[in-house]
Amino acid sequence: MRVSLPFGGLLATTAVATMVVATGLATPAHAENVTIRMAVPDWPPTRIMKQLADEFYQAPSGNTVTLEPDFIPWPDYQNRLSASLTSGEQRYHMAVSDSQWLGQFIEGGYYKNLTDIIAADPELQAIFDDLNQNLVDAYSTYPHKTENYYGFPQMPDVLITYYREDVFCNEAEAAAFNSQYGYDLPCTPEEMNDVDWDMVRDFGEFFQRTAGDELAGATLDDDFFGIAYQAGKGYDFSSMQINAFVWQHGGNIWDETQAPTGQAEGVVNSEMSVKGFEHYLSLLEYMPPVVQTGSMDIFKVDELFRAGKVAWIIQWIGFAESAISADTSTVHDQVNFAMAPGLRKDDGSLDRTSNIGGQPFVLTTWLTETEEQEAIDFVKWWLSEETQLRFVQAGGQSGLQSVYTQPEYNTFRPWNHAFGPSLDWQKDVWHVPDFMELLIQQQEEFDKAITGQQDAKTTLDNIAEFQQELLTDSGLIE
Amino acid sequence: MTAVTSDATGTPRWLTPSPRNWRLALLIAVVAIPGSIWLAPGNVAFWISFVAVSAVTLAVTINAWGRYPGPLLVAPAIALLFVMNIFPLMWSFGLSFFRFRVNRQAPPRFAGLDNYEKILTDPTVWDRLQTTALVVVFTVAIQMIVGFLLALLFEKEFPGRRVLLMLVLTPMMLSFVAVGAFFRFYYEPTFGLLSQAVRLFTGEPFILLKTPAGALAGIVFADAWMWSPFVMLLVLAGLVSVPKYLYEAAEIDRASWWRKFRTITFPYIRSLLLLALLFRTIEAFKLFDIVFLITDGGPGSSTETIAVYVFRVSFQFFRTSQSSALAYFILFIVIVLTNLYLYFARQRSQEA
Repeated sequence: MRVSLPFGGLLATTAVATMVVATGLATPAHAENVTIRMAVPDWPPTRIMKQLADEFYQAPSGNTVTLEPDFIPWPDYQNRLSASLTSGEQRYHMAVSDSQWLGQFIEGGYYKNLTDIIAADPELQAIFDDLNQNLVDAYSTYPHKTENYYGFPQMPDVLITYYREDVFCNEAEAAAFNSQYGYDLPCTPEEMNDVDWDMVRDFGEFFQRTAGDELAGATLDDDFFGIAYQAGKGYDFSSMQINAFVWQHGGNIWDETQAPTGQAEGVVNSEMSVKGFEHYLSLLEYMPPVVQTGSMDIFKVDELFRAGKVAWIIQWIGFAESAISADTSTVHDQVNFAMAPGLRKDDGSLDRTSNIGGQPFVLTTWLTETEEQEAIDFVKWWLSEETQLRFVQAGGQSGLQSVYTQPEYNTFRPWNHAFGPSLDWQKDVWHVPDFMELLIQQQEEFDKAITGQQDAKTTLDNIAEFQQELLTDSGLIE
Repeated sequence: MTAVTSDATGTPRWLTPSPRNWRLALLIAVVAIPGSIWLAPGNVAFWISFVAVSAVTLAVTINAWGRYPGPLLVAPAIALLFVMNIFPLMWSFGLSFFRFRVNRQAPPRFAGLDNYEKILTDPTVWDRLQTTALVVVFTVAIQMIVGFLLALLFEKEFPGRRVLLMLVLTPMMLSFVAVGAFFRFYYEPTFGLLSQAVRLFTGEPFILLKTPAGALAGIVFADAWMWSPFVMLLVLAGLVSVPKYLYEAAEIDRASWWRKFRTITFPYIRSLLLLALLFRTIEAFKLFDIVFLITDGGPGSSTETIAVYVFRVSFQFFRTSQSSALAYFILFIVIVLTNLYLYFARQRSQEA
């Protein structure tokens, strides 16, 4: 049987369907209900943000704004976010992004330039004036330290010291330590704030015990270790600590603010950088044996500390909540906190230069006018004093000077006193689009040194050579 | 001829509007799709293309309805295969001749064989291939030997055989992620079982993943643990298919165990052994999950297999076209290996 529908009819249907679809797409989102879909790593600072937003956020526009975060586990986060952005699905209106990914995603055309928006908005300008300058540089500017702004701090984070008070404040241990090293074992956070790397070495040596030994009056049923810091091959889990040593010894990483004249060779592998890296490596022998496998990342350090295997660690503030929670930590009632140690200078002061952590949030480039306005309003609400104080009370940190200098700030959590003063010492690693390649090669080379396969000089020479070539290729070194 | 190619009004038949005139639909689609991509905004062009393709499909289907039932039944499967497999494959193959990064805004630029030249002259690629070869040789050898011995064991009937067989097959059914995470904890020097066990004897924690050789051994062991049962299963299938009367005849001839094995058992399982070898070699060549989870390629880059390297180039460095070239290079190697196997298998069977 012949189908009698004329072909013209089919064409007409096609045309109508196309028009319906096209009109449907052109209609703006409903003015009353706006959803801000945000890619976020799954950890307390973003969970708290969602909670606070649901409870307290009222959009000034009168629209009903819902924050809809996709909580993505940290180890997958970079892959999942870049997959979404590069696929063109345009799923997210905002993202909580590691600051080092700025270059890559700005060059890809995914993160929105906010410079004009900030310049036209006195409220945002006031927020930027109030933010610690190091946070603005690290989280917002691209190219680094220029006046092009892309992000706002969501959760600022720094490396600090976590230590076992029951071990460091034990009288017998303190007496034994004093007789062996000729100075007092620090106990209070104030004393711990004045610790340099030489003292850290002593802690490592002194507290290294094997099963059956005594520790603070009790007999150990397992080995115990003095110190631990990150030395893992994954992501940036050694670079973040090594950079601190390199900077404190007067060395440097490739400096993106000097592009295109700044070189990698001769800087990355300078004598001072090598000295800094050697210093970092020299402390590894006092750490739990897993360090020799190159898998002692921040999660392993956290796990070892919470299991009561280590007396003293350097860790991001973001992990502190789980160290004092009875559900997750066997040492929850014995922990105290201080600033990260530094290198003692000739005048007796400490150089604490360290690598900043934490994340900004960014807006994507495909927002409608309404979505953009709502996103900006949301950021303003997040960075208002009231919300920031609520966030800090729930365990977060604030980068606003007017907030973190308030006296009660330090009363909210036992580690808060270490946060504000640490901020001024923060620098950041590169933000250029080649970040991941630079990082992965560097982590591989560092890992060879950490696992004892090559010395510090060879390692930094290899890194410098690779960086010189890659960055010359991408036009960042001339 | 005119009667066939045109209707009463004189219009050529392929221009006559009719729902089954797929030629006309195709013509319109060929004009409309590039036109809309060129003139209309992206999302409108997408829907115009969608409707045009649907119209062509509809016309082809109406035309074939009742006339070509066979092709019509196969068509959905072929269409799906094309969309999900063949098209992405061809796309990435095309991409391997361009300079393109998916995370940059610059459009693809033709680069000829540059990407292939780059990967073939890249010492890192050859280093990763050597690592892969080491992993393949060790893990496949162990799997073949262990799998074979297990099959000999399970060929005999003994009490509890069924339960034990099920237990032995379990590793193969676990997910890679579970196995990787399990061995990661197993090798961990502070809490790990292996280290604790060795410490009972030596008093020192045992750090297997500290050296490149140890890390390689750790990966090979985990992979062999997981996949030896697979080899066993194939060999067992061969063993049980050997007719019993052959063995009875050999018993009468008082043939030795070795002679029975060589002349009766082996010919029956040879093709299955080769099949197991082929499967396991291809799989081991692509080994990613276990390496990524247990060592992340470390210490340094000593256990980074070529599959892990492709992942890095493609999804961490975002050198999209270079990674496509690398993926095709690996595909080429696997095809060559497969054909070599098949060649030898055929030769052997001709000799026999």
